[in-house]
Amino acid sequence: MRIRTTFIGFALAAVVFSLIIRERDDAVVAMSLQANQQDELALALRDPGRHYRLALPEFTVGTPDAPLSAAARTIAEVLWNDINFEREFYMIPRVDAARVPVAAAEALPYQQWAELDADFVLVGAVRRTGTDLTLELRMVSVKAENRGKPYFAMGYTCKEQNPRFCAHSIADDFHKQARNLDGVARTKLAFSSDRDSSRVAGRPSQTEGQGKEIYVADYDGAGQLRLTVNRSLNINPSWATSSLLSYTSYSSGFPDIYLANLATPGRLTRPAAGNDRVQNQLGAWSPDGSKLAYMSNETGDMDIWIVNRDGSGRQNLTSFPKADEGSPTWSPDGSQIAFTSTRATGQTPQLYVMNSAGTAQRRLLDVRVDRPTWSQQKFIAFTVGGGPGHDIGIYDFNSPGGVRVITDGQGSNESPAVAPNGRHIAFFTTRWGKQQIAIIDSDGKNIRQITNSGNNMYPSWQPIAR
Amino acid sequence: MKKTHVLSVLIMLLALSLAACGGKKPPVPNAPAPAPSAFPGAVTPSTTPARPPDPPPIPPDTSVRATPLLPWEDKPLEEINGPNSPLKPALFLYDSDELDETARKVLTADAEVLKSYKTWVVTVEGHSDERGTAEYNLALGDRRAMAARNFLVSLGVGADRLRTVSYGKEFPFDPAHNESAWSQNRRAHLMLTSK
Repeated sequence: MRIRTTFIGFALAAVVFSLIIRERDDAVVAMSLQANQQDELALALRDPGRHYRLALPEFTVGTPDAPLSAAARTIAEVLWNDINFEREFYMIPRVDAARVPVAAAEALPYQQWAELDADFVLVGAVRRTGTDLTLELRMVSVKAENRGKPYFAMGYTCKEQNPRFCAHSIADDFHKQARNLDGVARTKLAFSSDRDSSRVAGRPSQTEGQGKEIYVADYDGAGQLRLTVNRSLNINPSWATSSLLSYTSYSSGFPDIYLANLATPGRLTRPAAGNDRVQNQLGAWSPDGSKLAYMSNETGDMDIWIVNRDGSGRQNLTSFPKADEGSPTWSPDGSQIAFTSTRATGQTPQLYVMNSAGTAQRRLLDVRVDRPTWSQQKFIAFTVGGGPGHDIGIYDFNSPGGVRVITDGQGSNESPAVAPNGRHIAFFTTRWGKQQIAIIDSDGKNIRQITNSGNNMYPSWQPIAR
Repeated sequence: MKKTHVLSVLIMLLALSLAACGGKKPPVPNAPAPAPSAFPGAVTPSTTPARPPDPPPIPPDTSVRATPLLPWEDKPLEEINGPNSPLKPALFLYDSDELDETARKVLTADAEVLKSYKTWVVTVEGHSDERGTAEYNLALGDRRAMAARNFLVSLGVGADRLRTVSYGKEFPFDPAHNESAWSQNRRAHLMLTSK
């Protein structure tokens, strides 16, 4: 009965959510406007070591009306934030750019942009085409020797009522073309929150028993949406693909991993098939979404198990006796799994790695760590420190052996989740009071707050849709 | 002369009564008829004499009965699991799943309660304080729940009456952020799930 409630509760939220996911169908159409410059500057533009100064002023709007102007302003602002987020360009602050008159690409006030030391201006012209919105975007050189040369010129057609998604799509396309970078502007974060919590159904008053539900938000914190409504404890969401999300729910009275298809809401599946004796937690999906690694108490202590998405091929990878193994994470190529184990100490979890078949198990670090998460950028991030205050640390395969701590000791910082391009880390922190989801770059810069309501934990970063 | 006559009459009467006693013994009551056979015509073996029937049992006197006092028998689950629960939590040291002497005493008392209320089914919840990391505490809570459960089983509580679940640090008993709260939160908590 409880399972059924979970299903119905989920389905209700999923109907709403599928609308959000369906924005993938609102595909932003991109079209090259002209042959871009092929010169030394064009090559230098893609040099990962060079960071040009880029201005992104308000767009011009043809035959403006209020909704179109509002959409244009939103796209310009969100696009500025998205490009600023990846730090591929030094973005000239919007307040400074606002002092320069808005002009079309043919009539740019180059002198004023030069005074702001801009290398390029990203010039946009918005107009309405039927029910859609079209944006012509050009990146024009300001520097004297190349002044006026366009290095990027694209036309985008998108839905006027969804300007944020329009901007995110443009940002990802711009980063791919201008910097050969996989941007994450269209990705989302899933997390667990008690913001709408009610007392967990059937739980007595002896303990607080506040429930937690699963939520999803854009990577920048916009559009926060509740996904589960089962009034139980729901934690540790984990994306299998860009449309499949699993999480641990206690809705049947014991923890098990539930998998939901967000694009076509329907039946939840339980690949690890737990019961009140075999309890499963902390799921993590292989990069291709085909296999689930997770922590189970089936043998009497915690082990890492794997199972195929359809529930077949379940097996224990860590049968080390009287030790707890937990928090699995897959290497970006799917060949290895990192995890924590207490086997060396009896109590303290340390960082281990093994092949995804369970062979060649070895320890990477002998300090206390938890929740490792493996990045595309050849590092593993984790929670480090024994408490009460934790920090986010990094084990770098390029300089192995030590731990680089990237948070600054403010509050407690836990449960890192790495962006699909490996450059950013979501985690939760108590530095602002309650537990909030934050994002930080892997070098410890640019921390930003994503949630501000209730306690929020266990972030998971959506993969890029393929 | 008259006295002699009376004596002779007495002697005669005595002699008559003796003669009556010394006659044939009265016949013994008939043996019970053989039980009706399921096979008409079958012969019941008669080598051993049939056992006489038991007398009807004397009904026990039910006017005085001794039963243990079970004050929680009729209470609702919510109340049994409330702040005055007869089932007390076993507390643990920081980052430990070992049952110390105090915890064993508490669980021994809990086991007695469970032996009195033979139908109670209990979930042993493992909890931690807020200090460890969230994921690690899920495993620690599981170890604590299993330690308490195994101890209860060793005391004779049926394993089929004991479930376990770990809540990590999700459900603190006391939400405050100090040692006093933490010491209450590191616990194996017995929650009645059915009775």
